[in-house]
Amino acid sequence: MPAADGMVVFTASDKVKARRKATMEFITLNHPVDCGICDKAGECTLQDYHFEYNGGASVSRDAKTHATKHFDLSDRIVLDNERCIQCTRCVRFTREISKSNGLGMLDRGDHSIVRPSADGSFAKDAYSDNVIDLCPVGALLAKDFLHKARVWYLKATPSVCPGCERGCGVNLWHRKDEWMLRSPRQAARNDGLDRVTPIENPAVNGPWVCNKARDLPKLLGRVRAAGALFKGAPAPLEAAVLEARALIAEAKRPVAVVSSWASNEELAAFKAALGGRLALVAKRDHEPQPGEVVQDDLLIRADKNPNAAGVRAVLGECGTEVPKDADLVLVWGEGFDFRAVPASAKIVFLNAFLAPENGHADVFLPVSIQTERSGHYTNFAGVTSRFERCFALPPGVLHAEDLFGSLVGNGRGA
Amino acid sequence: MPGRQLIMDFEVTPTSHTLADYKARGGYETLVKALGMAPADITKEVTASGLLGHGGAAFPVGRKWGVMKPNPGEIHYLCANADEGEPGTFKDRWILEHAPHLLVESMLITSYALGVRHAFVYIRGEFDLPCRRIQGAVDEAYAAGLLGKPVPGSDFTLDIVVYRGAGSYVCGEASGLITSIEGRKPYPRNRPPRLTVKGLFQKPTVINNVESLANITGIIRMGAEEFRKVGTAKSPGTQLISISGHIAKPGVYEVEYGYSWAKFLDEDCGGMLHGAKMKCVVPGGISTKVLTRPEIENLTLSHESVNPAGSGLGSGGMIVIAEGTCMVRLLQVLLRFYHHESCGQCTPCREGMGWMHRIIDRIVAGEGLPEDIERLYAISHANDGTTICGMGDAAGFATVGILNKFRDEFEYWIANKRSKMDGRLECRA
Amino acid sequence: MRHLIPEFERMKERFPEGFDSSLVLPCLHRIQADRGYVAEEDIVGLCEYLSVPRIQVEEVLSYYTMLRREGIGKTHLQVCRNIACSMRGAEGVIEHACKRLGVKPGETTADGKFTLSTVECLGSCGTAPVLMVNDAYHENMTLEKLDALIADLSAGGGNS
Ligand SMILES: Cc1cc2nc3c(=O)[nH]c(=O)nc-3n(C[C@H](O)[C@H](O)[C@H](O)COP(=O)(O)O)c2cc1C
Ligand code: SF4
Ligand code: SF4
Ligand code: SF4
Ligand code: FES
Repeated sequence: MPAADGMVVFTASDKVKARRKATMEFITLNHPVDCGICDKAGECTLQDYHFEYNGGASVSRDAKTHATKHFDLSDRIVLDNERCIQCTRCVRFTREISKSNGLGMLDRGDHSIVRPSADGSFAKDAYSDNVIDLCPVGALLAKDFLHKARVWYLKATPSVCPGCERGCGVNLWHRKDEWMLRSPRQAARNDGLDRVTPIENPAVNGPWVCNKARDLPKLLGRVRAAGALFKGAPAPLEAAVLEARALIAEAKRPVAVVSSWASNEELAAFKAALGGRLALVAKRDHEPQPGEVVQDDLLIRADKNPNAAGVRAVLGECGTEVPKDADLVLVWGEGFDFRAVPASAKIVFLNAFLAPENGHADVFLPVSIQTERSGHYTNFAGVTSRFERCFALPPGVLHAEDLFGSLVGNGRGA
Repeated sequence: MPGRQLIMDFEVTPTSHTLADYKARGGYETLVKALGMAPADITKEVTASGLLGHGGAAFPVGRKWGVMKPNPGEIHYLCANADEGEPGTFKDRWILEHAPHLLVESMLITSYALGVRHAFVYIRGEFDLPCRRIQGAVDEAYAAGLLGKPVPGSDFTLDIVVYRGAGSYVCGEASGLITSIEGRKPYPRNRPPRLTVKGLFQKPTVINNVESLANITGIIRMGAEEFRKVGTAKSPGTQLISISGHIAKPGVYEVEYGYSWAKFLDEDCGGMLHGAKMKCVVPGGISTKVLTRPEIENLTLSHESVNPAGSGLGSGGMIVIAEGTCMVRLLQVLLRFYHHESCGQCTPCREGMGWMHRIIDRIVAGEGLPEDIERLYAISHANDGTTICGMGDAAGFATVGILNKFRDEFEYWIANKRSKMDGRLECRA
Repeated sequence: MRHLIPEFERMKERFPEGFDSSLVLPCLHRIQADRGYVAEEDIVGLCEYLSVPRIQVEEVLSYYTMLRREGIGKTHLQVCRNIACSMRGAEGVIEHACKRLGVKPGETTADGKFTLSTVECLGSCGTAPVLMVNDAYHENMTLEKLDALIADLSAGGGNS
């Protein structure tokens, strides 16, 4: 019965308490309670409610029923039908929210079973991973996170998904300091993200995020650019910064190609240091990938960069093409087609990831990524959201925000 | 004959279900009378008649109709519930097979009263002959210009769709029925909103049992006052009782409310099969609690007489059980049924039905534990008021009803690993 | 299923407008009557014809006991096992049918002639025990009548 105005609801009468306890008994009746190997343990509402409302051992004297223990729901999600408590949240999500109609509850009664539609619509659902969070138990689990970590080893850092100009609120989950992996084989995972979940924000994303956010560990976990380069040759960081400063100082018609993945703080630092000196070109660091949903009417936006609106707000309208007579181009971030640089122009390139283009620049400077700093993005609707730092700055890498100040001045002397 | 007849008041012949025969009996004359009345006056008449629903809950038909305020221009629907899934019940089938035009005429009158333009007969999928009969009657009515275009002499038009179910007990539950007609799994719905406010495709919908609707023509023909002269003050009219089990003459009987229960069994139904002694009786579908022979000895067939005895006339599906019948096996059959039919939406019903079924199977297999009886009680109680539709409660009532009265048989089987009664359900000569 | 579309179109005429989704069940009934079961291509065709999501049709098919996605024996024997029938000898009828046909409920004979099922109350308790032969009710069943029925059907009578 839905709540209504003036309705009085008794939540703690003896009858309610007895029925609630009985319902908890029913839910756990055929539930495997294999919490020890269940990724949901620690954030499982069934565990919590059992503790709160029942707490007792099973009163059943009959063997538990069995169902499919491991069903490949899609290439992203596994389903454990024994843990499923048949709440149909996942089914209703695909019906009412993502509208893929990808999941259904087949059959009836206690042998009802969650299954994907045979037309493969669930695998194509760009929001499918939300069912993992919606599932009150560990019946729907992310393959990427399967048996990776107990959730109490992890902490959640509030952040903003950079996947498109919606800028959905997300929690980035990574290992707590006290639970760092020690073995050399596993230690690299300490600096990576383990999973991503949405932060509810009615003004931006409601309670959902799309699958792209879930894949941020992969996007941000790409191999990094390890150090500064002069035309591909390793160079000391300080020398590279001085060289970049000199190239900018010497240029007659310098141009900056600005990253739409830059935070508002970075953009402000850039403007303060170099704003008047360089002509500005705005860049889309990322374009829609083949097979990616370009835009829909739930969350996904066509501009696959988090801060194009921030660029406009901080720097005003920028050009879209590098002027033909530019004699120095400062390229900030990914996704730039270097063929647009005039043949005689010098190139200073700021990038975070390992890429062949890094070696083509006259000066290459490795910069930090979102998880190594905090800041703000402004989304397409003008809502500004903050993201927090997850990890320390790796050695040999600069924050662009700090760097810009050092790029002002004359000559190669300090 | 157990009192006066309002529905089964004609001789069944090979053609008595046809339009021609129905018209010869005065069929569709009441429709003409009704179309001359104001729609609201028909509802008033039905309310005044005191007609109680025959689907199981005995809800006053007029009160249900009253909720649906017909607004011209707004869409309303009517569904005749011909799912007849309650075990022991087979009386709507009689109407569908032998008096299908009585239902069609009643639905025309009801639709006119309620501002309905489209009506449905939801009939269980297994009912092959009844389905052909009601479809035949609907087709005859279309051909005769009574359906599909304005009824001659009026501007009232009705379409009737005969909609076949496909094997599911919860489709008989009013909201499950609606979801089934919507072409989806027949999950019953939470109320409120009531179906008379938001029903089929979210439009106000009245759902009445076939027998409830079949009474409408008679009420409008004779008027509420005359109708009330049949039956008792609190249970006006008649009820179709479908009687089965260990009875000499099973079948459908139209019983005037207030008729002696014992007389009905002993005289009208020919007494017990093979002259056996009667142990107990399920009064109105398996979801009503069993009553023993002494308990019914002085009762009449009326709501005011049966309800205080802790049971109800429900759907009129009366099952008579002879001495010597094993109540443990009987409950096993019922629990297997409820387990099979739970739609699975509500946790207490979904898990509880399976659990009770496993417990009773284990008892019958000789592996029962003394605590099992309390467990069956606890599961039944836990279904009381915690489920979306009435099925969870019903299964609980049936179980508690049997346990209360025949606990010794359960204790015996658990202790001795065999039936106190030879495990028989049949009544032998 | 496509050859049935003209029939479906006529069916639609008596439905209110916007009731395409309602036609799922009647169409599935009709398809099954035509083919004996509902095949993959029927599902695909029906979803397209009615513009309903595939999963809706799959849910409906899996929920109702009368609908099936695979063929069964030529004759479908369905014995009611609910209370009134059990009280009138249905358990003996089921046992006997199993023995005669050499199958368990839910199975089909090796020659493909018979599929035996047990079902819940068929709404015919007054004439229990009841057995359905394909669509037709055979009431007041006895072991002798069952023997005769099976003999007749085996001899090639086929339908009820
Ligand atoms: C599980 C369940 C099954 C039901 N089955 C039927 C049925 O087969 N036929 C019927 O008329 N009512 C059935 N009902 C009752 C209906 O929900 C509804 O109350 C009835 O059709 C209303 O008609 P009435 O007011 O004319 O009695 C069932 C109820 C429940 C809870
Ligand atoms: S779903 Fe919850 S209760 Fe069930 S096994 Fe996982 S953690 Fe344990
Ligand atoms: S959300 Fe989880 S528990 Fe609920 S139906 Fe889906 S898989 Fe089952
Ligand atoms: S009570 Fe049972 S049959 Fe009714 S809606 Fe709930 S689960 Fe379904
Ligand atoms: S119990 Fe068999 S038809 Fe009702």
